[in-house]
Amino acid sequence: MKITLTVNGEQYPLDVEPRRVLADVLREDCRLTGTHLGCEHGVCGACTVLVDGRAVRSCLMLAVQCDGGSVRTVEGLAGPDGEPHPLQRAFSAEHALQCGFCTPGFLMVAAGALERDPGIGDDPERVAALVGSNICRCTGYEPIRRAIMRAAREWPGRPT
Amino acid sequence: MEHWSRREDERLLTGAGRYVADMHVPGCLDAAFVRSDVAHGILREVDCSVACEVPGVVGAWSAAELADLPECPRSAATLQDLPPVPHTLLARLSTEEAVAGREWPVLAKDRVRYPGEALAVVVGEDRYRAEDGAAEVVVRIDPLPAVVSPSAAAADSVRLFDGLSNIAFLGEAGEPIEESVWREAAVVVEARYRQQLLMPTPMECRAILCVPEHDRLTGWSGHQMPHRLRRELAALLGWPAERIRVVVPDTGGAFGSKSAAFPEFVAVAFLAVRLNRPVRWVEDRLESMLVASRGRGQDQRVRLAADADGRLLAYELTIDADVGAYPHLGVGLPMQTAWMATGPYATPRVHAGVRSVLTNTMVTYPYRGAGRPEAAIALERSMDVLARWLGIDPAELRRRNFISPDDFPYQTPTGRRYDSGNYAAALDLALQTLDYDGWRAEQDRRRTDPDALPVGIGLSCYVERSGGEPGGLHEFVSVEAGEDGTFTARCGASPSGQSHETVFPALVAETFGVDAARVRLVEGDTDAQPDGLGSFASRSAQVDGAALQHAATLLIEQARERAAVLWGVPAQEVAWSHGTVHPVRDGSAAMDLAELVKATGPMRVDDRFEAGMAFPFGAHAAVIEVDPELGTVRVLRVVAVDDCGRVLNPMVVHGQAFGSVVQGIGQALYEGIPFDQDGVPLLANGLLDYLLPTFTEIPPIEIKGTCTPSPSTPLGAKGAGESGCIGTPAAIVNAVADALRVADPDLLQMPLTPDVVWRAARAPKLEEIQ
Amino acid sequence: MKPASFDYVAPRTVREAVDALAGNGRKTQVLAGGQSLILEMHLQRIRPELVVDINRVAELDHMDVQMDGDDSTLRVGALIRHDAFESEQAVPGPLGTLFACAVANIAHPPIRSRGTMVGSLAWAHPASEWCAIALALDADLELHGTGGPREIPARGYFHGPFQTARRPDELITAVRFPLLTGDTGVGFIEHRRTHFCFAQVAVAATLTARDGVITEARIGLVNCADRPVRARAAERALIGADLAPPAGRRVPGDHPFARAGRIAAEQDAAPVAEPYADVEYRRQAIAVLVGRTLREAAKDQRSRAAASEGDHR
Repeated sequence: MKITLTVNGEQYPLDVEPRRVLADVLREDCRLTGTHLGCEHGVCGACTVLVDGRAVRSCLMLAVQCDGGSVRTVEGLAGPDGEPHPLQRAFSAEHALQCGFCTPGFLMVAAGALERDPGIGDDPERVAALVGSNICRCTGYEPIRRAIMRAAREWPGRPT
Repeated sequence: MEHWSRREDERLLTGAGRYVADMHVPGCLDAAFVRSDVAHGILREVDCSVACEVPGVVGAWSAAELADLPECPRSAATLQDLPPVPHTLLARLSTEEAVAGREWPVLAKDRVRYPGEALAVVVGEDRYRAEDGAAEVVVRIDPLPAVVSPSAAAADSVRLFDGLSNIAFLGEAGEPIEESVWREAAVVVEARYRQQLLMPTPMECRAILCVPEHDRLTGWSGHQMPHRLRRELAALLGWPAERIRVVVPDTGGAFGSKSAAFPEFVAVAFLAVRLNRPVRWVEDRLESMLVASRGRGQDQRVRLAADADGRLLAYELTIDADVGAYPHLGVGLPMQTAWMATGPYATPRVHAGVRSVLTNTMVTYPYRGAGRPEAAIALERSMDVLARWLGIDPAELRRRNFISPDDFPYQTPTGRRYDSGNYAAALDLALQTLDYDGWRAEQDRRRTDPDALPVGIGLSCYVERSGGEPGGLHEFVSVEAGEDGTFTARCGASPSGQSHETVFPALVAETFGVDAARVRLVEGDTDAQPDGLGSFASRSAQVDGAALQHAATLLIEQARERAAVLWGVPAQEVAWSHGTVHPVRDGSAAMDLAELVKATGPMRVDDRFEAGMAFPFGAHAAVIEVDPELGTVRVLRVVAVDDCGRVLNPMVVHGQAFGSVVQGIGQALYEGIPFDQDGVPLLANGLLDYLLPTFTEIPPIEIKGTCTPSPSTPLGAKGAGESGCIGTPAAIVNAVADALRVADPDLLQMPLTPDVVWRAARAPKLEEIQ
Repeated sequence: MKPASFDYVAPRTVREAVDALAGNGRKTQVLAGGQSLILEMHLQRIRPELVVDINRVAELDHMDVQMDGDDSTLRVGALIRHDAFESEQAVPGPLGTLFACAVANIAHPPIRSRGTMVGSLAWAHPASEWCAIALALDADLELHGTGGPREIPARGYFHGPFQTARRPDELITAVRFPLLTGDTGVGFIEHRRTHFCFAQVAVAATLTARDGVITEARIGLVNCADRPVRARAAERALIGADLAPPAGRRVPGDHPFARAGRIAAEQDAAPVAEPYADVEYRRQAIAVLVGRTLREAAKDQRSRAAASEGDHR
């Protein structure tokens, strides 16, 4: 089936089987391997990407469902000049990653929420719901929570 | 580096990390395995004929068919039959006697011994097509009764191997204790503990990609021991090791579970060579649920004797250990528990006995802690029971029995020689950090308030072993100075999240007195670093770090000698500082090392460095709250004080300790593998059934440290990172027992799920039976 | 864990969707949020031959309140995602509160942004929060098939685990809930082992009272049988009881809410054993949770009544 995905602002005309999940098409067809498959049943969240601005499990969406849609992956987080995204800086500063496998998923869950409303940094419960969306086996989560709070504080345009 | 606190971070945060499944190799085939859905049975039929006709399927083979696979004419292989899965005798973890007659076939031949055992391999143009083929393989198995616990299997009423006992190994540590000791003691605690089977569950499952090129094979794998994998792949292919290259790209966690050549690895290497095409296997989570190696798995019995003042007289630990279906590392692994049975106490008599028993489960293998959590949990749970029975504060009971700081090195009754320690200091810091007295007061207050939820406080003091066992305490490293002023450090370690690229260059740079940016680390490539042991047993900082420091020191010596020759002065007249050599008497004539290399030729030190075993220790404390009506346990606070000697990078060690505590909470409360009556794990919904801790469950955790350097290397580092798995579980369980004041310790078996706790809450209290 | 092959259509109208479902003789699945369906396809427990993706049927992406005399009804279209209910204000009155309490227990934000309420009703997992709520509140499902539209009341809809009265050629287009009146209090409590698993037990409850006396009670039980359960015996036992919630944390054993809990556990529920929760434990958990949820509902009712009195003053 012929579809077009806009991934990180770039158009990808693709011919995919309907059964191929978005994660596989991003990884294999678009060669964007930053999106990882950790469980393939929607639990771990390593594959989380933004589809039309909202964080979704890319293992639980078919690529054909996204025809004509816009997808953002971890490769599209940094600015056009390569300037790191506030979340990328904050994750490093807080040591919120060790093996790094789950990291893109956490970044995208947080990016989706913060870009809609940077004010969530003022609401610990909403941040907790974000951190509680995915699984990390290395860090114990607390550094990830701190990183999201830090990114919210350092969000461009926020009063410091 | 300005944005990044670790060198690893930039690529891992931008999607530029490269794990095995991310590698793009043109023409690469995907392997999928057909697996047994029964735990134990006679394999009657495996028919791959329909699968072979599925579009996109390149081939499908059972064990019998694979033996007949014609050799690819362009292949460099001279393979006959699929060899068995390699086992290792390293560090006495298995024995020839245990394995004899019980070899682990890569694909089951006539008998299935664990659920998920591979029956056929299907290779397709991609994973979708390989799975299409796998769905068409016809399998017929006549089920046999299954045994899933070592105690049940030890009776041999169901045998995994006809004519052979399920008991694959017997071992002991220490001297047996006379009955009179138990008879005459003021108090003897007796209890049974189940150390449940756990799944290490790194977020990246296992993976291997084998690429044949000319007469060589390159295996890419997220792996802890690339050199061992190279050796094992070479042996099974019948090739010299030089023809195998193993490369470890980014690895998404391991926790002990990624150091073997697993059945699937053998099949993939074999097929890549036979087909002369790149083949990969990327384990998916459901496969991992069935056939990733398990950790822990012990049925324990303990006896702990003390006098009326709480001075320990004797401790006996009897272990039935779960080996899994084939004797692999799980055979000798429980000896770690036996050797560490003494713990941090000066108990005069300690004896531990081990029976390693085959069961119809996937093999048991090291999982973060690997034998030491089982020792610490058994002892520390028993200490809290003893304290309650004697009416002594559990902290005070421990203080009365600690090995004194003056008694190191300390030879334990179970055969360990502890290097250094100050156990009381760690406990005191933990109690102070927790506000132990404050929580005891809160506990008393709640006991008088009928509407308050009971709280419990649990302690756990541990000593563990890091670095490895004799014969595996060395590492191979090299340090090289370049003409451009940079340094290249190489070592045999292989990280899976432990920040080696950041920590080791900083250590080498510090030794040289240069900026860390000038030092580059190379590891995880057997072509770049021909010898190595790897990353396991918390050894990387302790052994590789000490080795790199040592090699750097040797390189400085070499530089001084060369400069001495160049300048015609004695070597002792040449000084080193900040990456330069200069004559002692004339600091202005300094020569940068890069110039020295240009002047005198390449400069490189290759070193085989031997460290000693080290014994990290610590004290963990937990406060929990129980809802007795529902049996839910809420962890209110955890304090972990760990002593891993010299800390190379506080941020990294803190991160390791924190994550490890959370895995320890997982064992205590959430993780476990239930089985149905036929021995099949009840994990059909994957991670919705095997419950890892999530952020919602994480209490406030405070990590602190004391520092007692290891005397066994100049660096003084001990292992870090397994502490939480070792120290935390017993603290949590003890806290629950403390809240419920339950008389029978056997009622609280991990994981402490709500039903377990609810039942324990209704059971007689200690004061009711005394 | 890859889905097996299937054909795929993405109709634009309900009519097209129904035509796609109709009489093709093939194993067909409707794809809405897909958060259960695609999971099951990964596990290969479901291998459809045709997937009908309704996500482009704009008319299903609609929610509104319909007035019918004194009664108001909330109509939720088949593409309304779980997260539409995260705000209490998304739905008027106590129903909005109940939905917001319940939805916080459904997975987590990335799942809630895809999964749909109607999809949960179609899937009919015994641990589904929405299914028990629909049953307890006497919701009605609207279906379209080749034979035209029809309605099924929730009480006749659930036949067993993953089994419903929906025929394979029918599409559930919406679900309708009667709005709850201001004299009703609501409660929802879920009990599970970690944040990432299905409920061991969850309870939804509403209590309506006049002059401090309970006039109506509705109790929905989640994962307390092979299908959602309405605890009618427990509800009956509450009529005429004093609404006053117990003061302390515990619900005393002789309190009407505790009695209702025991009745729900013993008479209404039919729990089956699961790992880490045998039947005895599950009955205990049901009894405790029903008592506590009723207390929440009673407290909610009282605060609403107090607020309403304040308004009138």
